[in-house]
Amino acid sequence: MLPYILRRLATGLLMLVALSMLVFVLLRLAPGDPIDAYINPNVAMSQAEMDALRARLGLDQPLPMQYLAWLRAAATGDLGYSIQRNGVRVLPLVLERIGPTILLMAAGLVIAILIGIAAGILSAVRRNSPTDIGFSVIAFFGISSPAFLTAILGLYLFSVVLRWAPSGGMLTPGAPFSVGDLLSHLILPACLLSIGHAALIMRYMRASLLEVLNQDYVRTARAKGVKEFWVIMKHAVRNALLPVVTLIGSTIGIAVGGAIFIESVFNWPGMGLLLINAVDTRDYPVIMGATLIIGACVIVVNLLTDIAYAAIDPRIQVA
Amino acid sequence: MQMKTLTRAISVAALLGATALTTSVAAQEQKTITGGFDVGPGGFQGNFNPLAATGGFTWLNVYFEPLVNYNADLTAIEGALATEYSVNADKTEYTFKLANETWHDGKPFTSKDVKFTVDLAKNGETGTVFAARLNAIASVETPDERTAVIKLSRPDAGLLASLTKLMILPEHALAGTTPKELATSTWWATKPVGTGPFKFKQYVTDQYVELVADDDYRLGRPKVDRVINRYFKNTAAAVAALRAGEIQFTYVEPDDVSAFKDNKGFKVIEGQSFVVNYVGFNQQVPLWKDVRVRQAVMHAIDRQAIIDSLYGGAATVANCGYVAKQLVPEGLNPYAYDPAKAKALLAEAGWDKINGSKPITWLTYYNTPQAANVMAAVQAMLAQVGINVVPRVVDTPTYNGIIYAGNPDFSQFPLVYAGLQNGPDPSGLNIGLNAAQKPPAGANFLRIEMPELTKALDAALAETNPQQLNTRYQDVCKAMNANLPWATMWVANRYGVASTKLKDFVWVPAPAGGPYNAHPEKWSIER
Amino acid sequence: MSAAAAIPVSSKGPTARALGRFITNRLALAGLVVLAAILIAILTYPLWWMYTPNQIDLRALNKGPSASHWFGTDGVGRDVFARLMQGGRISLLVAVTSVGVSLVIGFLVGALSAFSGRLADGAIMRLVDLAMTLPPVILLLVLASIVGTGIVPTIAVISLLSWPVLSRMVRARLLELRERDFVVAARGMGAGLGHLLFRHGLPNCIDILVVYATLQIANAILLEAGLSFLGLGIAPPEASWGNMLNAARSTSVLEQYVWQWMFPGVALVITVLAINFVGDGLRDAFDPRSDLQ
Repeated sequence: MLPYILRRLATGLLMLVALSMLVFVLLRLAPGDPIDAYINPNVAMSQAEMDALRARLGLDQPLPMQYLAWLRAAATGDLGYSIQRNGVRVLPLVLERIGPTILLMAAGLVIAILIGIAAGILSAVRRNSPTDIGFSVIAFFGISSPAFLTAILGLYLFSVVLRWAPSGGMLTPGAPFSVGDLLSHLILPACLLSIGHAALIMRYMRASLLEVLNQDYVRTARAKGVKEFWVIMKHAVRNALLPVVTLIGSTIGIAVGGAIFIESVFNWPGMGLLLINAVDTRDYPVIMGATLIIGACVIVVNLLTDIAYAAIDPRIQVA
Repeated sequence: MQMKTLTRAISVAALLGATALTTSVAAQEQKTITGGFDVGPGGFQGNFNPLAATGGFTWLNVYFEPLVNYNADLTAIEGALATEYSVNADKTEYTFKLANETWHDGKPFTSKDVKFTVDLAKNGETGTVFAARLNAIASVETPDERTAVIKLSRPDAGLLASLTKLMILPEHALAGTTPKELATSTWWATKPVGTGPFKFKQYVTDQYVELVADDDYRLGRPKVDRVINRYFKNTAAAVAALRAGEIQFTYVEPDDVSAFKDNKGFKVIEGQSFVVNYVGFNQQVPLWKDVRVRQAVMHAIDRQAIIDSLYGGAATVANCGYVAKQLVPEGLNPYAYDPAKAKALLAEAGWDKINGSKPITWLTYYNTPQAANVMAAVQAMLAQVGINVVPRVVDTPTYNGIIYAGNPDFSQFPLVYAGLQNGPDPSGLNIGLNAAQKPPAGANFLRIEMPELTKALDAALAETNPQQLNTRYQDVCKAMNANLPWATMWVANRYGVASTKLKDFVWVPAPAGGPYNAHPEKWSIER
Repeated sequence: MSAAAAIPVSSKGPTARALGRFITNRLALAGLVVLAAILIAILTYPLWWMYTPNQIDLRALNKGPSASHWFGTDGVGRDVFARLMQGGRISLLVAVTSVGVSLVIGFLVGALSAFSGRLADGAIMRLVDLAMTLPPVILLLVLASIVGTGIVPTIAVISLLSWPVLSRMVRARLLELRERDFVVAARGMGAGLGHLLFRHGLPNCIDILVVYATLQIANAILLEAGLSFLGLGIAPPEASWGNMLNAARSTSVLEQYVWQWMFPGVALVITVLAINFVGDGLRDAFDPRSDLQ
């Protein structure tokens, strides 16, 4: 097992280098650099002045040199400065965003799991009843609606019209930190984020539970006179949860990248917002740094998943 | 059972939410104005270094101050940190009498700080955007603590306008940092020290900036305790926060105005954008050499109809680069909407042979819904006379990257839809129109080479007599109207919306955010 | 499904059996009918609708639904119904084409990986991992900036984003197949890679491909809408459901000109819903276990 993990980690490292090179090249292929993003076309500036600014940032160097310089610094843990924010270092900037992203994702996922599993159980137990049909219809709508549209409508309804929750951000500006303040900002984006996941989990849960309910041991338990409630809770649900857990696991890896739509509609200071803002302003060091960190997270999560699978299922061999 | 847990969870959350509300009410004991001060085209979120600022001056001017500043009508330059100034006869020596003020850290502000700031701004190593604009300055002399004399190597009519954007920086705090380190220094965003009515408290990355009142400000202690500048990803998000009552002010898109007009809780602030919008002809492609083709474009577009319908009347037709009365001479060709005439002009010029109905890319960086509508309307109007333009909307960096490329691909921007600052200082157009300003020297990326226009611009820039200045710019206007380097469209109004709780609040939609004397120390808010 | 119904169909081939199961699924059939109606409408609208999608009318801005403009007009007086139809064409074109492209890439990569040696398999799978680690925003930005926003870049972006998942599924399926007798025999007789891919690989993956394609079309429609929302998809004046929905960003449009975003929103949700029903029906139909229940 250990050699396997070491080998995977080594390939992971190589992949990170490949990833950074790919991102670097792709970025430089795109028209417009940080200086172009800096200049307001309505308040023009001469090309000579812009070139002087470029030279100061080292953007006039040959591309391979720039990449090697970046790689050399990155190897020592120095990801440079954000070009569009004076003096902000990239590494802390990126790391600072992981927390909010995970908080939002985790909250969204927890809500989705609670609602999804509860609705899934109810639907499966009362198969073809109005409850089941109602939940299924809602779930189908949840899967079929674009995330940004539900986000915009939710924001408008709950923040602008009803004023139940703040319209954006993570904390009230200038107010002292309090958990309640954080939760009041978190609840709306997390709920809207959970819609899609909840719908998916509900459908998986329902299908999986229906299958389990037909299995012999459930019938045996029923025949033994165990109360229906305990049959479902103890015997069926537990077994039915397995595929659902796999589904949830697979979404966690992607989660580090942030939920771009929700984060940008709610101004949530997570990875998704950081990345899209950096891309908008061509903030090269931030884009490179964020990709590197997200890439590392995905690689590690993938590795952990593979190891976990191998541990659960003896048929899969890691070697 | 699950339902019960759920209800319990919700009630716990609600309880926590309620405590949050009470705590934030406690925080409101302090008078606070929260706004989206860096929203919209004049703002520049995330920039704290005034030397590197290409926008966002409204906000920077709340805690930093320049020597001289525009008044809030943007009609004249008046004193700020300099209480008065005088100019010698040959316009090469500006003497500034400085106000008595202390920096936010208590140290006195002196003429040495002025010299220090000008030297920094001229030093390319700091990443300054002022180097070229201030290159007429030969030296700064400091005869005494309250007097600064700026000596020029040649007269520069634009000097005072440039100085309004130059925020004076504290020598005592920055002298220890090399110019090169200043560009990436954390000082700007963590503990900057200015002279303005508010002092810097904190910046929560990409969320907001918080300032607190400077108790010993020379024009009186500010009426509110804190000013908070919230960051928004886009104008729509800021409008939502304004409607939700979380902020008291933001720039809004013209389309949003109707939602606030009849609302008693809000006041709409309207002002000139000082940006002339134009359809620009790339002179490096063979399409627009014939002036009759350019005239046809003018005649084909019903500018007044577009202004009336899509701008709700809130724009002024531009027949040259200017619309300010003192700069527009009598007898300009109004280029009235006349599709028949446009067709005739195109036929005369042989448009069928020049291009015919082949699609022409029309590049722009304007990506607001209103701009999309305007471009759709212009596209339809041009199609009527046989010019087939296809709008291509890109983001600002892509636009700049295309037009300022070292070796530009002119076929990517045969036609542009753009804007250029034409005021309050009318010399702003020079950089885009003068033949000497072709890249890399300037920003004449359309490679316009019209001798009459270049001559008029040169004459206006060299004019040192203020009485003659307007006549010179009228000549520029005439040359633009006759030669049509651009199909000039209009100067539109821009808007901000403030809560009626705000009193004595001053904001104007100045290009790049000004600056202008907004007197934030007088702003107040009703409970 | 009852055993009685299953017996007569089980004598046919698996595809026919799946078809048999599919037509008994009412929800899936309803989805199919709705989808057909939408397709017919958007393909034929120029024949029976009086407005074209880019025809402006400065005297009729932001007008609500009426007899002449069923779904009202937008900010430059264009007919919302005509734009909805044209937008449907573009959105569906983008979705179908991009799924087609990602099907080809996904199948080829997955199958190649499964049928080639260990080393090549490992290398290809690491490539797939790499493609999955690349943050989509970057890919979007770069492609959108190089090729420009528009139909082709949007298709490219969506297909490049979605193939890795498919290639993993294909590989997993074919890895089992690789060791089966008939494949080993075919290999022993010197069958080429092409033969392996298309004679053995393709038929054994057809169910994965069909189900993936249907469900992915639904996803691609949503993705196109999302891209246009971020300003990276189809740029105006070309209509798409995504960029029509983008109008809802402005609160004034959101509350005053409801028809400008509501109709595209409803059209999009209904279409995606119908495709999801069909996709689910197909998945159940291809699932061998569904016979046993």
